Amino acid sequence: MKIAAVWALFKREMMDILRDKKTVAMMILLPIVLYPLLIVAMVFLMNAITTSQEEKVYKVCLDTEPEISRELLTIINEDEEEIGYKLKVLTSHEVEMKLADVKKEESAKEKKQDTEAEEEKDLLTRGLDAKVLNGFIRQKEDGSFDVCYLSAQTDSNIAKNALNDVLGLYREKVRRETLDEEGLDADAFLDAVTFQGHDLSSTEESVGNQIGSLLPFFIITSVLLGAMYPAIDVTAGEKERGTLETLLTLPVTNLEMIMSKFLAVSLIACISAFLNVVSMGGAMMFLVSGAMSGNSEMGISLNYSVFLPGIGFTLLVMVFFAMLVTAICMCTCIFAGSFKEANNYITPVMLVVMFSSYAAMVPNVELTQKTSVIPVVNVALMIKSLFGFTNDYGLYGIVLFTNIAYSLLAVLVLSRLYNSEAVLFSEGFASVHLFSKRSDMKKGQMPGGGDVVLVMSLTLLLMLYIGTFAVAKLGFYGVAVQQGIILLIPLLYAWYIRTDIKKLFSFNMPHPAAFAGGFLMFVGAFILALFVGALLAGVFKESADNLVELNDFLSTQSKPLTVIFIALMPAMGEELLFRGFFMGTIKEKYKPALVIAATAIIFAAYHMSILRFFTVGIIGLSFTMAAYRSRSIFVSMMMHFCNNLAACLVEWYPGRLQKLMELDPAALSSPLAVFGLFGGAAAAVLLGYYLVGFRGKRAAEGGLS
Amino acid sequence: MIRAEALCKQFDRTVMSEDKKKGKASRSKKETFLAVDHVSFEVQTGEIVGLLGPNGAGKTTLLRMLGCLMQPTEGSVMITDTNGECITDPVKAKNHIGYLSGNTKLYHRLSVREMLQMLGEIYGIDREETAARIEKISSVLDMGEFLDNRIERLSTGQTQRASIARTLIHEPDIYIFDEPTLGLDILSADAIVSFMKQQKEAGKTVLYSTHYLEEAQFLCDRILMICKGRIVCEGSPESIMERFGAESLRDAFHKVMQEQNAGEESGETAMEETESREEEP
Repeated sequence: MKIAAVWALFKREMMDILRDKKTVAMMILLPIVLYPLLIVAMVFLMNAITTSQEEKVYKVCLDTEPEISRELLTIINEDEEEIGYKLKVLTSHEVEMKLADVKKEESAKEKKQDTEAEEEKDLLTRGLDAKVLNGFIRQKEDGSFDVCYLSAQTDSNIAKNALNDVLGLYREKVRRETLDEEGLDADAFLDAVTFQGHDLSSTEESVGNQIGSLLPFFIITSVLLGAMYPAIDVTAGEKERGTLETLLTLPVTNLEMIMSKFLAVSLIACISAFLNVVSMGGAMMFLVSGAMSGNSEMGISLNYSVFLPGIGFTLLVMVFFAMLVTAICMCTCIFAGSFKEANNYITPVMLVVMFSSYAAMVPNVELTQKTSVIPVVNVALMIKSLFGFTNDYGLYGIVLFTNIAYSLLAVLVLSRLYNSEAVLFSEGFASVHLFSKRSDMKKGQMPGGGDVVLVMSLTLLLMLYIGTFAVAKLGFYGVAVQQGIILLIPLLYAWYIRTDIKKLFSFNMPHPAAFAGGFLMFVGAFILALFVGALLAGVFKESADNLVELNDFLSTQSKPLTVIFIALMPAMGEELLFRGFFMGTIKEKYKPALVIAATAIIFAAYHMSILRFFTVGIIGLSFTMAAYRSRSIFVSMMMHFCNNLAACLVEWYPGRLQKLMELDPAALSSPLAVFGLFGGAAAAVLLGYYLVGFRGKRAAEGGLS
Repeated sequence: MIRAEALCKQFDRTVMSEDKKKGKASRSKKETFLAVDHVSFEVQTGEIVGLLGPNGAGKTTLLRMLGCLMQPTEGSVMITDTNGECITDPVKAKNHIGYLSGNTKLYHRLSVREMLQMLGEIYGIDREETAARIEKISSVLDMGEFLDNRIERLSTGQTQRASIARTLIHEPDIYIFDEPTLGLDILSADAIVSFMKQQKEAGKTVLYSTHYLEEAQFLCDRILMICKGRIVCEGSPESIMERFGAESLRDAFHKVMQEQNAGEESGETAMEETESREEEP
C-alpha cells in the first residue's frame, strides 16, 4: 500500500467533509451547542414542573362519616409538610355550586348537553369529570375507604397520592389511639423493629453506576451519527457527484482508496463522539456541582480522578468502535447510488445499533465471555462495567480485540465490494440477487458475494438477537429456535433467488467409503482438537469455565431432545450455512486452499469463544476438507453429527467416556505419547482424506460429477 | 501507444417481452449482451484517433476498458510508454493515461489548485515540480483567474478546462477523452480542440470519442466507427469519405450506419441476439 497516496486521498476526503456545512453542523454544532442546551433546558423544565406541582392547590372532597371527615381535615391542615402537597377540601355543597357554574358556562357556549349516563353519575364523580375536583375519599358500607381519581389526569394522580398519604396518617393515628385505649405502649408496639437502609457505596460508585447506564447510549449514538453522514458522503455522495469515476482514473488500488475514506470517516466519527462526550460530561458536571440551584452546598462533591481509568478505556474502545461503525455504514452505503437511497439503506443499521446500545440500561445484563463478543452490545456493557468499577480487564481485552477484528473484517469486505464494477458503476445491489424481481432471476444462478455477506450477516444478527432472546425465554427449546434460524435462512434464500440448490449445497450422495473416510477424519481431528483444547484451557480459563457451564446445562435435559437439538439440528443447519451456502458460493471464484481456510475460519469464529475458535477450527477444517473433496454435504453432516453426539455422550456417561476423552496435559509429557497421539490422529486424517475422495467405479467412469 | 486486442465486455440488462400465453401485456426478463464485441485496434504515438458511433454503440465502455477503469470480460489492453516498455499492471498503466469523460466530475469543495496539488501527491510528483506544472498548465489553459476558486463556483467552460488540467498534471503519454467538447461554447470547444492538436504535435497519443463529425474530420488522423459494440469502419477521414463517395464525414457516417441497418434487416451482418442497442451503464 502506498502510504503517500493514502495520505493524499485522506487529506482530500477530510477537506471535502469539513467543507460540507451539513457535516460540520452535525459534528460540531450539535454536540457543542445543542446537546448541552437541551440538557440544561430539560433540567430547568423539570425543576419548574416540580415546583409548580408542589405549589398548586389540589381540590379534594371527603365523603365519609362526619367524625372521620373531621379527623382527616385535621391531618390535612396540620401535616401538610408530610403530605408534600397542598390540598383544599370542598364540601358537597361547594362541589355542587361549582358544577352548576361549569354547566352554565357550557350551556352558554352551547357546548354539550348532559347525557343520561352523565346524569346517573353521583355528584362527586361528576365533579371529578368536570375537573371541579382532583380526587375524593369515599367511605364504603363496610367501613373501608376508596380513593377515587382519574389516572389520565396528572393533577388527579398527584391528588390520589396525597389522599393516600392522608389515609396512611389517619390509620397510624387510629392504631395509636386503639393501643393507648388498651393500655399498651404504642411506640413500643408499632416500632418494635426499627431499621434504616444505608448505602455503603461511595458517591463515586453511585454516580459511576448512573453514568455507566446512560453513557453507552450517548457514546454509541454519537459515534453512529458522527459516522453516518460522512459515510454516506464518501460513498453514495461520491457516486452522486460523479467523482468516483475520477478517483478510478488515479493510480491507486481499491484498498488504498477505501483506506483513505475509511480513516477519514473514522476520524470524524471519533471527533464527533469525543465532542459529544466532553460537552455532555461538562453539562452533567455543571448540574451535579449544584450550579443550577445556585448553591454549591446542594451539589455533590466528587473525586473525579477515580473515573480517569474508565474514561481512558472508554476513549480507547470508542476509537475501535468508531472504526467498526464506519466500516458497517460504508459497507451499507456503498450499494446506494444517491444520498436518498443511502439514507434508506442505513436506517435499519441505525435502528439495530441504537437498539443494541440499550443493553447497558437493562438490569442484570453484564459483560460476560459471551456478551463480550456481540458487536455494539459489548461496547455498551464494557463502558457500564468500567464505570461500575468491575475492572474485568480480560473481558475488556476481548471487547477491544473483537472490535478490531470485526472492523478489519468489515474493511476487507469493503475493499472487495469496491472491486465490484456493479457497485462502482451504480448498479447498486447487483451482487445481491435478493433485490431483483424474482421473475427476473435466472433459474439455476449461483449466489454472489453480496448474497453471502447478506445471508451470513442476517443469520448472525438473528442468532444474536432473536436466538439469544429465545434461549433466555424458552431455555432448551430456545436452542431449537436458534438452530431453526440457521437451518432455514440459507435454504429459503437459495430457494428465493432460484439458485441450483443441489449444486450450491452439494446435495450429492457419495460412495459409502466417503462416509467411512469422513468418520476417520473426524476421529483424527477430534483427538487433535482435544489435545489443543487441553493445552489452551489453562490459557483461556474463562472460556473453559463456560464450557463446563454448557455441559452442566446439557446434562439436565432429556436425551432424545438433546440428540435432536444439539446433535442433529446443528449438523444439518450449520453445515447448510457454512459448507453449503458459504463454501458453495465462494468455491466458484477462489482457489481450493483459500475456500477451505476461509470456511473453517468463519465456522470457528461463529462459535464466539476464544478457546473454541482453535478447537472448532481444527474440527471445522476436517469437515470442510471432507465436504470439498467428497463433493457432498452429507459427509460433513455425518461428521458434525458424530462430533456433537460425542459431546453429549461425554456428559451422559462421564465415568466411561470422560477418562477416554479428557486428556491430561501431564500425561503428554512423554515425547513418545505425544508422537503416538499425533501420529495416530494424523494417520486417521490422512487415510480418511483419501477415502472421502473415493468415487467408486461408476463415478470414475464419469457417472458422477 | 495503446492497443486493444479482441476486447469484449458483457453486461446484464432487463428487457420487456410480451407474454401472450398468460395474456399479460409484458413481462421483464434478464439477459446478457455484449456492449463491446471483440474490438481490436491500436493508436500510435503522435496520432489522434476519433471514435464515432451512435448512442449506446459501446464507446464509453470501450474507453473505460482502455483507461483501465473497467476489466474486460475477454481480451486485453496493452499500453506502451515512450520508452517502448509494455505496462500490464492497470494501476501502473494509469500513470501513463489521462482519462476524461462526462462522468469524471471534479471535487466541488476544493479549489482547482488544491485539486491539482492533491493529484500531484497521488502521482508521486514532488511539491515544487507540482507547483511548476500547475503554473504551466494554468497558462496553457488560461486558468489564472479561477485557479484558486472552488470548483463549485466555476462556469461549465472553466470546469471543463479544470478537468483537462486534471488529466495533464502527470504529463501522460496517452489521452483518452470521452466527448470532451460536449455542451461547451464555441470558444471553450476550440480551446480543447487546439489543446489536443498541441498534444499530438508533442508526440502524445490521443483517442477521443465525439458526436461532432466536423470537428473529427478536421482534427483526427484516423477514425473508428463503432456500432453495436463492433468496429464497422476504420481509416483516415479522407479515405472513408472516398470509400463511401461522401462529401463530408457526416455523410459517410450516415451511409455507414444505413449500411449497418440494412445489413441487419437482410440478415447479412446480423448480430447475435445478445448484443445491445441499449445505453451502457
